[in-house]
Amino acid sequence: MTEYSEYNPIVTFVYFLAVAGLAMFIMNPVLLTVSLLGSVVCFCLKRNKGEKANVLIFVGLFVVLALINPLFHHNGVTVLFLINDNPITLEALAYGVTASVMVISVLFWFRSFSALMTGDKLLYVFGRFSPKFSLMISMALRYIPLFAERSKKIKDARRAMGAYEEENLWDSVKGGVKVFISLTGQSLEKGIITADSMEARGYGSGKRTFFSRYVFKKKDGIALVLILLLTAAVMAAKMAGVLDFSFYPAAEGELFSVWAVGAYACYGVLTLLPLMSEITEREKWRYLRSKI
Amino acid sequence: MEIFKVKDLNFKYALGTEKAVNNVSFTVSRGEFVTMCGATGSGKSTLLKLLKREISPVGDKSGEILFMGHPIEDMENRDSAAKIGFVMQDPEQQIVTDKVWHELAFGLENLGLDNAVIRRRVSEMASYFGIESWFEKSVRELSGGQKQLLNLASVMVMQPEVLLLDEPTAQLDPIAAADFIATVAKLNRETALTVIISEHRPENVISVSDKLMALDHGEILAFGDTRETVAKLTGNARFMEGMPAAVRLFSGLNLKGACPLDVSEGRRFIEDNFKNDIRELPKKLRERSEEKVLEFKNVNFRYGKDLPDVIRNMSFEVRKGEIFCLLGGNGSGKSTTLALAAGLKQAYAGEIRVFGKKIREYKAGSLYRGCVAMLPQDVQALFIGDSVKEELQEVKFKPDMFPFDLSPFAERHPFDLSGGEQQLLGLAKVMAAEPRLLLLDEPTKGLDAYAKKEIAGVLRKLKGLGLSIVFVTHDTEFAAAVADRCALVFRGEVTSEGETRQFFSENNFYTTAVNRMTRGFYDGILRVREAEEIIHLNGGH
Repeated sequence: MTEYSEYNPIVTFVYFLAVAGLAMFIMNPVLLTVSLLGSVVCFCLKRNKGEKANVLIFVGLFVVLALINPLFHHNGVTVLFLINDNPITLEALAYGVTASVMVISVLFWFRSFSALMTGDKLLYVFGRFSPKFSLMISMALRYIPLFAERSKKIKDARRAMGAYEEENLWDSVKGGVKVFISLTGQSLEKGIITADSMEARGYGSGKRTFFSRYVFKKKDGIALVLILLLTAAVMAAKMAGVLDFSFYPAAEGELFSVWAVGAYACYGVLTLLPLMSEITEREKWRYLRSKI
Repeated sequence: MEIFKVKDLNFKYALGTEKAVNNVSFTVSRGEFVTMCGATGSGKSTLLKLLKREISPVGDKSGEILFMGHPIEDMENRDSAAKIGFVMQDPEQQIVTDKVWHELAFGLENLGLDNAVIRRRVSEMASYFGIESWFEKSVRELSGGQKQLLNLASVMVMQPEVLLLDEPTAQLDPIAAADFIATVAKLNRETALTVIISEHRPENVISVSDKLMALDHGEILAFGDTRETVAKLTGNARFMEGMPAAVRLFSGLNLKGACPLDVSEGRRFIEDNFKNDIRELPKKLRERSEEKVLEFKNVNFRYGKDLPDVIRNMSFEVRKGEIFCLLGGNGSGKSTTLALAAGLKQAYAGEIRVFGKKIREYKAGSLYRGCVAMLPQDVQALFIGDSVKEELQEVKFKPDMFPFDLSPFAERHPFDLSGGEQQLLGLAKVMAAEPRLLLLDEPTKGLDAYAKKEIAGVLRKLKGLGLSIVFVTHDTEFAAAVADRCALVFRGEVTSEGETRQFFSENNFYTTAVNRMTRGFYDGILRVREAEEIIHLNGGH
């Protein structure tokens, strides 16, 4: 069951925008830790079978990012030790670790995002804003690979008649130009057919609509409202300064005030939405299957 | 109910000197299947496009075209787009979007229909056409035949009253073409859809069409019931070219009366009317040269490490001065074989020798200097200039090297030439490097019978000049007409090979229509001309 990926693309899109956006703009160690955990869980839920998690790469990246900051920034009051007379401070290290938690978690959110939001879905989301734009994208996706294929054909055709030389750079540049000229000529010529085909099917006969295979269901509405409410709550907390935390010169800010904990909880629920919907769906399926 | 009523229609292209459509009047009623035939340039395409307002050519037009009683100029934009469906020749270029489902919806989006309606119509059409399994696919993944079916479905989804098809099967292989025509015939039969189709190879559609319209120089030569019209046209060599073999035979024998239309009628006609005391034509023996010009030995090729072999253990040889033909279905590996022989792809195992030398040992383009040249499937890929003259200058073409006079077209734009002329121009360009081995990838694709004859003549003359030729085709009739030897490629292997007559006589299905018609009655007859000859030898009528 891949219940989560079956939500309307708008819900999926807003979800990732919210969950990654909050992580990017709120520099709060606890919140970012929650984000990292949630993003890894979400990624594990959605990752394709063949795709490896590349844990080592991410651990390496994490270590490098965390160490770069204290090596180059020497602010902070708690000096741990000196390298070449430069102080390495606890605050800079803490900041580095927090920043790299942020980067890694956002990377994981984006990996899930790209696994879930296929080209079709993105097109659907943007098609809402402008049907013309989405048609343009769809046509570009069709014609760019076609041109690439065609230029390969032209190159092969010219080579097999002895007209494509690539012994030196100058010849291959000239050859490339000729391929390009031929491609342009051919594409303009053939473009007329496409234009006819569009017009023959009523393009330009009036206002277009935009067809999508996705329906906005009740459960999409509920999910969207939930996502927006949770996001608003966390944002409100941020605006109110509850989540403020500064590293320099000394760590300052109350990480576990009541309000802050409330905000973490909201964000935690937000990050765990994919897992929760997966579990409810799995239970539902188990129940339904027991009746088969 | 009259779907189309055309009265005194005349049309001249803005830059043309002659009328492309000359005083044409006809009516087409609901549910009729009408085939338009005529050579390239007879005005079929122009007439069809005039019936569809959105893509009508620009020029001087007079006369009247009524669609269901109203002039087409007065129709609402959206009505006109939806009710008159049009499918063109080029499967690739008609497709607008990147996904199959989106292409199906494209026309309906243009009509401004809402999502629920589009969803219903698209899914209905997809299941009727059996394209559910590739509904989500990218258009790029489809074969040519599937693309053309998609084009048909994307027009049908708009629920047209009449379907106009402009040589829809010209770019398809014979099996895909038959499938496509069968689908159109089914639509016509099951939904009373009116069909007007133009075909320069009417043999594919004649058995399913109710009416035949013969066009010549923009005029209607004959229009009426298919069988009667065919009978009227027998004896007219121009029209006979593209007709089914049975009709051509009947016409060639100068007979009158009921004309057979397909293979089974033709067979009955031969058995009922002629004797078979002499079963074979005298054989002409031909010496095979000892010199090998192209040799494949256990060649293997695949497109990627983890992909299956496209060519497996392929072995064959071509001798000097031979016209050698590779036949086979779509995806059998014929074209890949040719690309390997042209050095455009490299085999991972086995040996390819060109003129006795391993193909790998030809360095830095020496393979293409006075040695091998290939004419690609899409000849337009060779064109780069604005006129035929420029094209020929680009390759320093010497007219005495090429047995066809291109000078009458010198000033024309390469893209304005007919398919056959483009093919000849391509051939001329390729010949400029003075190759001794010529490779041709489907040289007759999309051509009418007349152009095919022309190409066949040029190939024979080139052979006379000492060239060896290897070509790939789906077209058994063309192979039988020009090839000395044929080979059948199946799943990347040559499974049978032999001298052309013997090769086709041993095949049961993969052979010419005349051979299927005379099999077991006469032996080794492949072409209409040969059938005529043996019938005469047997005392004729």
